[in-house]
Amino acid sequence: MSSLFGNILKGWTDYTKGIEEGGHHEYEHMWGMVIDLDKCTGCNACSVACYAENNIATVGEEKYVARQSMQWLRVERYFDEPDIDPGAIDDENAMQERGASFLPMMCQQCNAATCEPVCPVAATYHTPDGLNAQIYNRCIGSRYCANNCPYRLRVFNFYSYTDENGAWPEPMKQQLNPDISVREKGVMEKCTFCIQRINAAKDKAKMENRQVTEGEVKTACQQTCPTQAIMFGDLLNPESKVTQAWVRQQIKLGKYKQDRENPTLRGYRIFEELNTDPSVLYLERVREE
Amino acid sequence: MVVVLVGAIIVIAAQILDQKLHYTSTDVVPGPIVPGTQYPDEAFTGIDVPQPIDFSHKIHAGDNEINCMFCHTYARRSKVSGIPPLSKCMGCHTVIATEKPEIQKLTAMWEKGESPQWNKVHDLPDFVHFTHQRHLKRFLFDNQELDVSDAKRVCSMCHGDIAEMTVAKKSRPLTMGFCIRCHEANEGPSDCTKCHK
Amino acid sequence: MNQSKLDRRQFLKGLGLGGAGVALAGCDLPSYVTLEQGEENVISYLAPNEYVIPGVGVWYASTCVGCSAGCGIHGRVREGRVLKLEGNPDSGVNMGRLCQMGQAALQHHFNPDRIANPMVRKNGALVEASWDEAIALINEKSKSGKAAWVTGTISGHQRVMAQTHLGAIGGSRHYAVEQINANVWKTACKDIINDPNPEIHLEKAKVIFSLGADFLGTFISPVHFAASYAEFRTPPRGTLIQAEPAMSLTGGNADHWVGIKPGSETALALGVANALMNNHGVAGNGISNATKTLINKHDPETVAGICAVPVGRIEKIAASLAANSPSLVLAGGSATGNANGYSAAAAALMLNQMLGNIGTTITAGRELAYPQLDLVEGNSANLKDLAIDANEGKIDVLFVSGANPLFLAPKSLKMLEGWNKVGFKVVLSSMLDETAEAADVVLPLASSLEDWGSHIPSYAKGTRNLALQQPLMEPVFPNTRGFGDVVLALAKDAGAPGLDDYDDYYGYLRSAISALKKTDSEKEWNGFLMAGQTQIPSLGRKLSYSDGKITPTMNDSDDGNLTLIASARMGMWDGRGANLPWLQESPDQISKVVWDSWAELHPKTAKSLGIKDGDYINIKSASGEVTTRAFIYKGIHPGAIAVPIGRGHSALGRYAKDNGVNPLSILNGASDSKTGEIATTATKVSVKSAGKNKQMAKLMEIDRQHGRKLVATISADKQRRTEGGA
Repeated sequence: MSSLFGNILKGWTDYTKGIEEGGHHEYEHMWGMVIDLDKCTGCNACSVACYAENNIATVGEEKYVARQSMQWLRVERYFDEPDIDPGAIDDENAMQERGASFLPMMCQQCNAATCEPVCPVAATYHTPDGLNAQIYNRCIGSRYCANNCPYRLRVFNFYSYTDENGAWPEPMKQQLNPDISVREKGVMEKCTFCIQRINAAKDKAKMENRQVTEGEVKTACQQTCPTQAIMFGDLLNPESKVTQAWVRQQIKLGKYKQDRENPTLRGYRIFEELNTDPSVLYLERVREE
Repeated sequence: MVVVLVGAIIVIAAQILDQKLHYTSTDVVPGPIVPGTQYPDEAFTGIDVPQPIDFSHKIHAGDNEINCMFCHTYARRSKVSGIPPLSKCMGCHTVIATEKPEIQKLTAMWEKGESPQWNKVHDLPDFVHFTHQRHLKRFLFDNQELDVSDAKRVCSMCHGDIAEMTVAKKSRPLTMGFCIRCHEANEGPSDCTKCHK
Repeated sequence: MNQSKLDRRQFLKGLGLGGAGVALAGCDLPSYVTLEQGEENVISYLAPNEYVIPGVGVWYASTCVGCSAGCGIHGRVREGRVLKLEGNPDSGVNMGRLCQMGQAALQHHFNPDRIANPMVRKNGALVEASWDEAIALINEKSKSGKAAWVTGTISGHQRVMAQTHLGAIGGSRHYAVEQINANVWKTACKDIINDPNPEIHLEKAKVIFSLGADFLGTFISPVHFAASYAEFRTPPRGTLIQAEPAMSLTGGNADHWVGIKPGSETALALGVANALMNNHGVAGNGISNATKTLINKHDPETVAGICAVPVGRIEKIAASLAANSPSLVLAGGSATGNANGYSAAAAALMLNQMLGNIGTTITAGRELAYPQLDLVEGNSANLKDLAIDANEGKIDVLFVSGANPLFLAPKSLKMLEGWNKVGFKVVLSSMLDETAEAADVVLPLASSLEDWGSHIPSYAKGTRNLALQQPLMEPVFPNTRGFGDVVLALAKDAGAPGLDDYDDYYGYLRSAISALKKTDSEKEWNGFLMAGQTQIPSLGRKLSYSDGKITPTMNDSDDGNLTLIASARMGMWDGRGANLPWLQESPDQISKVVWDSWAELHPKTAKSLGIKDGDYINIKSASGEVTTRAFIYKGIHPGAIAVPIGRGHSALGRYAKDNGVNPLSILNGASDSKTGEIATTATKVSVKSAGKNKQMAKLMEIDRQHGRKLVATISADKQRRTEGGA
């Protein structure tokens, strides 16, 4: 019997490990991001680049109102600044005295992702690259994952967008990126950190018998960013710029409360206290008081 | 108690089924053998797919022993093996076998500047990422026991014995299970996103 | 009874384990014959180039023509299709980065509403015709009277070609029409510092005081400036102060945003100058006495009354400018969009002179050694001229390409009436826009990704380059032709000399550039194409300073109406982006509205008018009215209402048509007194509720973080303490 179950129970001890002990994976990579909110201008180039790279459907006004938009990367905009000017927005008659605050939000690729365990068919899972992967042809559209995502960063195909009245009437179809699927009705989708680019780089590296090097993978949003506010790389590579930024900001993976020597550093992770352990590090915006 | 029993039976049955699907090193490896690999058996010969030109793999790869990669030159450089460009065909067929009716069809197309519309035989679903390049490297170029001239043996792991076919047929199932078993036997990647895009 | 011993957790565990086995078995169902087999075609190449490999993308360099900035692009081509655009890292304009409009150029290229065949007007309707027929008709009519060309901003060899054609058909006037431009700023720079296009060093400034110049969104070369802005924000970090009546993207990024009364920017600049001289001991070297007198009249208290900005804020701006040198003062956008726009730009330059910025953050640009290739920068004064000349019967034959005058012109200019008086109108366009719909002959153009061309970027630092545009793929619509090809053929037919050697525009371009670079080697030519650009000789300019005429008077009757601001946005731009679904669905940076126009209103104003967010409101000027939904926020002066430009098309395609409103149509026709630019912030409108409400499609339904740490902000002082630079 034990040999019979050996196959399935293999790795169980790994599986039961907490995230602080390295989770259940032997990670090959741990792709992570750093977004400098002081450099981000909220121009939206990243969002459109994401549409172009990832075959994201446009839905039109009606469906947008119904919150059925498909964007993987949204640039949020807030008008208040609770940290430096808490009451500023309260006077109805006053004008804004500062600009807005912009926040590019893409899948945070949590390492203790809330979306993963609720999937009834394991269509979403954690890859050895540290990504929350979504396997489209496995997805049955239960939408549990989207309901469980505290960042609201998963989008669902409520409709099919592939027909002539959909998102890509001829000849727009010709633009579709053959490196990733065009998702059908009933499938959940989300930011993948441009996994097709990661896989292409890994394939190339393997063909040349080497490791993926720093800077070899650029996500579409990072590449296009006019202010280069987005940094992307491998957190397991101590040489990478993202690792250095994480170290500099004294932020560690696997914690829901950072124990920083210097608490005035700008780095923070959104909703870290929920113990989702996101892989995206934001740097606080800076404004003159 | 009943539920426990039923559950146990399901679990055990699934395990046995699961084990059956996994080849261990003692299994007999059928078909063309690539040294150092494990290989699942499939005894299916495929259905005919009509093509605009009755191209015979047997004559080219079988009788004349032309290396697969001579024509499918992209296989080692790209994810797709590609259909050879017409110019490649004409490289030989301006002088060889010009009297045959199928070659004359080809020549006519070349002169008109048209490419034949081949019907796709080995077509993976659009959500699958498969790369010829990597597989060739793993099983052919990095394989000490094989020479490049043995490419046929690697190709036939998934494509069957093409060299014995006229027009190519899909003789392997190319299902996920087919892929997975080979991946398990040869320690290929098992991460979903490696193949699902 | 026994069942109770199995708790839910164990039961699920059992199912889970079973499930794993079953799931794996499921992958192996005997589907030997899949549906896909034999269903799809594979078409082999005929005789491909060595570097063409199916499944592998190849990147080709070209140039983006989305606006006149001329960013270098790389297009990823796979299996003969262009799939993605990225910035060209070698381009000095954009350093490998792109804005959303550059990204979305693909959707223009693959647009389903592109014109596929030439069209000729017969019995009042446009019907498809052959190229021969259309060209024959043009050749017959084009010498039948006074001819003119209308283009957008045009440069390089396309400019030479269009002007050669114009000369050959005996025409004289070339109207370069561009709604979103920096004409006022550039004219002021030319007059005052003797360089129309000086280099602007955001990265060197410690404080930027911008009067409406939306350099991150719409001012001259937004991607380039965004890159400089990133450097500007690197510690020790610079401070951005933006003064404008309605928040632009740059305003959205300001440390201090000063909402001022529309049209009062000149006064604000004078008030700041006054505070600088009187309170901070700035001497004002090089400023004329007349100007100093004017400054002395504008003490902060007076200015506070004019601009509706508190005295304290004016003082604060002055203090910040005085304490941090070098600084930079810019003017553009809404500040230059009124009858006194030139004054605002002149005042900004005067402040730069006072603060010693000329020569540090504003330095001399370089002039092309080949002026015939330089940009003919479009502006809206030309739009006005076009309307006037057409109405006066000064134009008989009109060629239009790259501009949409019938969409851009306010009704008060009577453009359509003038247009109808023109005997014969040819439009070269890839989309059937408002202007093309009203043409006599429509020639379908290749998209920017299918065409040859050379461009001079509107802004360059250091050396000057000729940016090259090359086709990235075969035409999507086979019966379309490149702009250069069409104009070359027309010019040849019209008997233009010296063109007989060239069969197509490629031949012309290649020989012209080879002559320019004094080489005809194949290898070097390929090198230019791979780089996407080639350096061309230029001459340094020299800056000087002489005061411009500053007239702070506002022709402003305070009649209780609101001032309409037709605001420019990166995205829709001047309307050219409206048929690209990516841009339609890309939320506006500030309002976050998608797929529709909106009217920005201050909550105070909205309250007094009884308008709630999402209400349809009627905006009525002396020359027309538009109805759109209200977006209520505090980034606008209470005396203003802002409606973005770009939507409100009656043509252009399925996504653009009948989507939103066009605020340009109801402008009153006022223009800047010096440059003639159509004033976009000087029309008084009355606003009332149209009695309907519908939820707007927008990304953010809340504007506040409610205490969550989403966008955390720290003060600059704190950052300087931790990251240095203090």
